[in-house]
Amino acid sequence: MKYLSFLITLFLTCVLGVLVSLPFGQIPPLAPLLDPNHGFWQNSFSEDQLADETLSLENLNAAVEVVYDEQLIPHIYADNELDLYRAQGYITAKHRLWQMEFQTRAAAGRLAEIVGPVALELDRMTRRKGLAYGAEKGISYLKENDPATFALAEAYADGVNQYIAQLTDARLPVEYKLLNYRPEDWSPYKSLLLLKYMSDMLVGDRDLEYSNLKKILGKVNLDRLYPGFPSENDPVIEKERVWDFISLAPVKPDSLNYPEETLQLEPLVQPTEGTGSNNWAVSGKKTKNGNPILANDPHLSLNLPSFWYSMQLSTPSHTVKGATLPGALGIISGFNENIAWGVTNATKDTRDWYKITFQDASRKAYKYGQEWKPTEFRVEEIGVKGQEVFLDTVVYTHYGPVVYDQSFKADRQDVNFALRWIVHQGTSNEQKTFIQLNKATNHEQYTEALKNYAAPAQNFVFASKSGDIAMRIQGKFPLKWEEQGKFFMDGADPRMEWQGYIPFEHNASTFNPERGFVSSANQHPVDSTYPYYVFDNSFEHYRNRRLNRKLSGMEQITVEDMKALQYDSYNLQAAESLPVMLNLLANHGSSTKEAQKYLADLKAWDFFADPAKKGQTLYSIWFAETTESIWRELMEQGAPVVRPNNYQTIALMSVSPEDELFDVHMAAGVQTAHYHVRVGFDSLLVAMKKWESKEGNYGWANYKKTTVQHLVPNFKAFSVFNVYTGGGAGILNATGSRNGASWRMVVELGSTINAFGIYPGGQSGNPGSRFYDNFIPIWANGDYVDFGLKKKGDQKGVLFKTILN
Amino acid sequence: MKFLLFTLLSALLGVFLNIVAPYWVIMIAVTLLAALIRPSVWGGFLGGGLGMGLVWLGQTVYISAVTSSALPDKMGALMGFGSGLSLMLLTAVLGFILGGCSGLLGVLSRNLIQKKPTDVYLG
Repeated sequence: MKYLSFLITLFLTCVLGVLVSLPFGQIPPLAPLLDPNHGFWQNSFSEDQLADETLSLENLNAAVEVVYDEQLIPHIYADNELDLYRAQGYITAKHRLWQMEFQTRAAAGRLAEIVGPVALELDRMTRRKGLAYGAEKGISYLKENDPATFALAEAYADGVNQYIAQLTDARLPVEYKLLNYRPEDWSPYKSLLLLKYMSDMLVGDRDLEYSNLKKILGKVNLDRLYPGFPSENDPVIEKERVWDFISLAPVKPDSLNYPEETLQLEPLVQPTEGTGSNNWAVSGKKTKNGNPILANDPHLSLNLPSFWYSMQLSTPSHTVKGATLPGALGIISGFNENIAWGVTNATKDTRDWYKITFQDASRKAYKYGQEWKPTEFRVEEIGVKGQEVFLDTVVYTHYGPVVYDQSFKADRQDVNFALRWIVHQGTSNEQKTFIQLNKATNHEQYTEALKNYAAPAQNFVFASKSGDIAMRIQGKFPLKWEEQGKFFMDGADPRMEWQGYIPFEHNASTFNPERGFVSSANQHPVDSTYPYYVFDNSFEHYRNRRLNRKLSGMEQITVEDMKALQYDSYNLQAAESLPVMLNLLANHGSSTKEAQKYLADLKAWDFFADPAKKGQTLYSIWFAETTESIWRELMEQGAPVVRPNNYQTIALMSVSPEDELFDVHMAAGVQTAHYHVRVGFDSLLVAMKKWESKEGNYGWANYKKTTVQHLVPNFKAFSVFNVYTGGGAGILNATGSRNGASWRMVVELGSTINAFGIYPGGQSGNPGSRFYDNFIPIWANGDYVDFGLKKKGDQKGVLFKTILN
Repeated sequence: MKFLLFTLLSALLGVFLNIVAPYWVIMIAVTLLAALIRPSVWGGFLGGGLGMGLVWLGQTVYISAVTSSALPDKMGALMGFGSGLSLMLLTAVLGFILGGCSGLLGVLSRNLIQKKPTDVYLG
């Protein structure tokens, strides 16, 4: 009997002990998660409660001091650059390890390893686009051509890895505990991959859609609805700029044969709409204190842990502060004791598709002119949690990878297009650009730093203490003839090749322009006098004009003025289109009480998209429904196309409301703009009836419901919902429901640097910390925290200090 | 007496050993402790369970109090248990079961090797 009871108890205890250590489906192992000493409970502590006076970091030449201010922003004081970046890696990992690892996994196409088969298709797509391929080439390039930067990247990786090696179960970020995996080693390759990933987030192409549109609309209407330049072009580089260089002229083939198949592909995933940015600098002659002021606010998806991580990095020879990208070295958007710089995305079509004609089913060769060129095969090994490794063979041509083929989305009518993209080349050195910018003291050094920068193309704004302001559109841009790469091209025809690159000196830039400011907001980079072909689908038409009008009119500018401008919620698109729409609506629908109420709201609206404004909500629905009605037939042709942008649609509505483009062929009679505006208004009434019965309040913030979402969307409890803030797409404060200003910075370059910054998140990556989302209310309100440079030994506002040695 | 001693020592194991060792080491330690002290069968189960369960409960209460972190509530919502309070109870119950089974196992294993005394004078 006692043997039996012993054996039963032994068995049950062992089974129990093992069961609570195992995951079940999505449920993580229970005991390690709940154990108060090692499980998630330990993640409840905020960083200041766990402050260490000293921490061990090996391979340093001298001790490094890390001083945290009251916002948990670390100020790192190191003796030299190697120590500095080793400490940056260590400290970043300490606060953002899970995020930096997760993002590089996404970039490498390695999510299925941790989340299982659901991510396999996504991983295949990522790999087939060739991001990892580009990063591998980049790392060999770095090793051979720039061992100094490579050594710094190795120091950074060593810092991250030393932190990982010291990591206890208690301090393991809670996401690892929930997803049940552990961090793996960091490497310089991952830092590079992260920078490549930025290209993936920010660069798109619409070759497929434009190929379709050309077929559907014909060339004449295509050019009418999608012109190269808008009628009121307000480009990044001021129109007055004279191009004082002799440009290279690519040879346009005399006859062009585009692939003419019926195209019915799903386009590649494109950057989210609303990912844009603003930056500007005003010269001392326009400011109250006579100092240049620089401002930058990049717009991205709003995520937690935050995309950016703030730091000050100091050596005896330089001190720089601003926003870092966890996983990459140095400051990406920031300032030092002499200069400030910032970035916005310089959208320009740098991704092209070439149709590949394979010799036979083996795909070992493809047609190129009169010859057959050999292909290369790259086998991607994709780990899948709970399953065998998935092997994916990708064919590479000299253009780039064949993204879709017989084994990937083969059901599509047309496969076998090769993707040509700057990211694959790996002969650029973006990391070096940022390391040099961090130390730059004047305009020459800023320009020198940008020479290493290829992708994703950015508008780099600049201001210096010595009084200079500048803007440079920097990227490696293919030299294209008019409309090259706007449509699919035939890869068998060598005349379709890119014919080199625009020389660095010919990239559009401006230095101390007469108007006293430089600015960019993702609009057209230049006007039509620029001697190179410039094209992108997504140029901005409103933020830029609002920004430049404001800056032109302002004098005696202060830092407070610049903060207010970043938070400006004036909806220029509404101001230009609402009167047109009200006019086209005439008396339609105004018989009901509701319609009268909404029309009164709209007519009383001042075009500011503030959180409580009802007019903004009504306008946004009405405009969306109207354009939906106008372009429905075009969009429903059965092939992916892009809609004409709002600017062109509004121009068409106001200039030629009777245009035949408004006619709906499926409906009887002849339709004009009046018809669509009325259809849109009727839809607005339906939508509002639903909204008012469900939610009641249709103030703008309550309607758009800005959400800052955790990187794992399922972890809803780690997200922040319904942030009360204004703004929207096409507005300087570009905060929509899921994207917006991911970082706001204003720097005045006087004798002492006066700087402010904020981002929608917090310094800690830990959802249990009080520093996880503490910046969000400040950000939502248009306020900032102080970002002044701190000297070593500065005792003011210190949260705690740690010595690394 | 043995029960109280065992409960107290199990709790101390939970407080100190658990800082450096994972839960399963505590389980083994409680088992050995029960074999050593040899409380009654029920005493082994209850003592080990209360020792580990109460310490785990106490630690969750302590952590919640000193951090006032929203994490327990977030985790409760995320795991579908509602609030942080229910996670505290779940943690305590888990600690109780793990400690209880270990205590019981210790007592029973000691009973295996310990011959029942047959020469006891029963009056």
